[in-house]
Amino acid sequence: MPFYKCLKCGRIWQYPLSECPYCLVELKQLVSEKAKVSSISKVMIPTLRHPFVPYFVFLIEDENKNKWVYKSIKELNQGDFLSCDSDSEAIAVWRIKYDYLQAIKKAIQLIKGVELNENSKILILPSLFSASQNYLRENTSPEFLQAVIEYLLKNKVKIENIKIASQSFNEIPIEAMAERSGLLKICLKNKITPFDLNKSNFVKQGDWEISEEVLKADLVINLGISQSGRAKTTENIFRILKKENYLGLKYLFSEKEIAQNLEKNINDLINLSEADCIRDKEGYIFYLGIILAGKSYLKLDRVFNEIIMNRENLDLVADIDFKEISLVGRDLKEVQFDLNKI
Amino acid sequence: MTRFDYSTKPWWQFAFEASLEALKDAQMTPADLDAIVFSSISTAVGGEHQSHKVSFLSDLFKTNIPIIEIPSVCGGGGVAFWTALHLQGFKNILVLASEKYADNKSETTVDWILSAAEKTIEQPEGMLFPVQNALIWQQYMEKYKATMDDLSLVAFKNHTNASFNPKAYFYKKPIDLEKIKNSPIVASPFRLMDCSLSVNGGAAVILSQEETEIKVIGSGFATDYLMTFQRQDLTHFKATQLAAKLAFDQSGITPADINVAEIHDAFTSVELISYEDLGFADFGKGAELIRSGKINLGGALPINPSGGLKAKGHPISATGLAQIYEITNQLKGRCEKERQTNPFPKHGLTHNIGGAGGSVTVHIFEKNN
Repeated sequence: MPFYKCLKCGRIWQYPLSECPYCLVELKQLVSEKAKVSSISKVMIPTLRHPFVPYFVFLIEDENKNKWVYKSIKELNQGDFLSCDSDSEAIAVWRIKYDYLQAIKKAIQLIKGVELNENSKILILPSLFSASQNYLRENTSPEFLQAVIEYLLKNKVKIENIKIASQSFNEIPIEAMAERSGLLKICLKNKITPFDLNKSNFVKQGDWEISEEVLKADLVINLGISQSGRAKTTENIFRILKKENYLGLKYLFSEKEIAQNLEKNINDLINLSEADCIRDKEGYIFYLGIILAGKSYLKLDRVFNEIIMNRENLDLVADIDFKEISLVGRDLKEVQFDLNKI
Repeated sequence: MTRFDYSTKPWWQFAFEASLEALKDAQMTPADLDAIVFSSISTAVGGEHQSHKVSFLSDLFKTNIPIIEIPSVCGGGGVAFWTALHLQGFKNILVLASEKYADNKSETTVDWILSAAEKTIEQPEGMLFPVQNALIWQQYMEKYKATMDDLSLVAFKNHTNASFNPKAYFYKKPIDLEKIKNSPIVASPFRLMDCSLSVNGGAAVILSQEETEIKVIGSGFATDYLMTFQRQDLTHFKATQLAAKLAFDQSGITPADINVAEIHDAFTSVELISYEDLGFADFGKGAELIRSGKINLGGALPINPSGGLKAKGHPISATGLAQIYEITNQLKGRCEKERQTNPFPKHGLTHNIGGAGGSVTVHIFEKNN
């Protein structure tokens, strides 16, 4: 849990404020190293957003005496330390507490990180599905993209080695989507010129024509935007295919098969899916406050839909057995609720 | 005030009934009012879906006077009263609160109340209000060695009092101590009988510049951080202490001069902790006070003779004004004989909290001789 302290007056916030309103100086971020359980309440009453009981709410205290609360399905005792396992093959589920960068850092750590250095060549694939404003949650948000760039820079990746690209699979020009979504502004702010994958070279691998940019990158970061009843992190990865090839492949294979085969063709890939505010199938927006990370976009989309208890329109991921997926970070029942009831 | 219950009347009907009683008691009509200060939870819950209630009230009373809406969750009534006291240039102000709040499954209602906790850091972690207060109470128990039996005594006292109050939900429905002690766990260590009752209702008070039988001699209002556990002292409510100090300093009297009080017992622990924050007991001695019987009906300082939020019921914003209604009637000697503080009290106190000590008002009233 990050805290933000003014080193001049000592005041502490849990909100990432730009500066101390008293001293007008930047706040220092304090990150907890060790956090132990101070008090426990076992909750027996279900509510819409916390339908599974019993669960436990711990009052947690860290080495700096900062305190916060933490929901858990597992029982702990007073004095126990909070800990999370990490697993490179798992899907990480973590809560976004205002700070996207912290959430991204933690989610990647939970899947045992990625190797980055100053020579790493990165291709970021943001979700761009429509030319719509950010609040409609159809595309990656500018804040999320900015946080991913910051994460890479903090891990010594050079800005000139970061590429951001996508392509339109519908009739809307990609430029219009990038502009309207606010992503273009983020690219330009960071002095990154985004490009249209459609205009890149594609390399033929059997039936597949994959963008050369994907094959040249040391790491591809697929940024999903979670939506109820969709598998949008998976849908976004189709953008690395030549559009005509993708349309052709759909005659030969189901989308699920395309997705499964693509997973085998990309060497270094991580998927980060933004599920802070999410769309439901009708386009209404709900707060969820979650980030998901994992090597498999199919598993990630399956986990997301399980969290919001959606079992409809899951063609792409319907036959993935949820029980076969291991989760790290938060337990399913800590975050799960029926979105239809909200 | 209206009876507090689960009736399905719309919010405005509770508002109208409470206002009418207040106007009749003051021998006024809406034409005598210069302003209305109104409190209600800011977002419509369930079937109500009505915002811009001030304009509705204009329509209801066929008036064009200023009407101000002051939501502050459970502390709304007290904050509305404090605001009205500080308004300048008005002769008669109707302070009004009403809620049609319990109108859906408890999963929905509790989820809505959860919105008064912090959205991103607390709500997703299951920080329901019983949980928040249970965690505070555990810190208190550890520090001061109080017990859950002490809280049962608070519940038992308030249920007994409510059984004599025709406007209370638990009127004529006393609950015995063993049943309280064995009620189901809600959020450990809290049991169902440690929690107040979410009901519907309305309450109204008229503030007048003219000399009346009852005078407000002290008024204090303080706030505290939404993030409960970022506060320095986890065992007490700083905002209550600050508001009480302001009110007592202004009144010129001390806690020892108070003859009757209505304390915000959203949870039994909150009442016990507030004995100390308000100055009725030393820190760590709240349990001794409830054990002593001094604050029961017939004791030296009856606390929550109405039955409190616990057993009269807690219609969110209306609570703060219902407390003032009770204290006014106590000072005037108009309560049912089983509940009436005797001899008739001279000084009464109300204490109204929004959230877990996030916004607190304390008011002190005096009966004019």
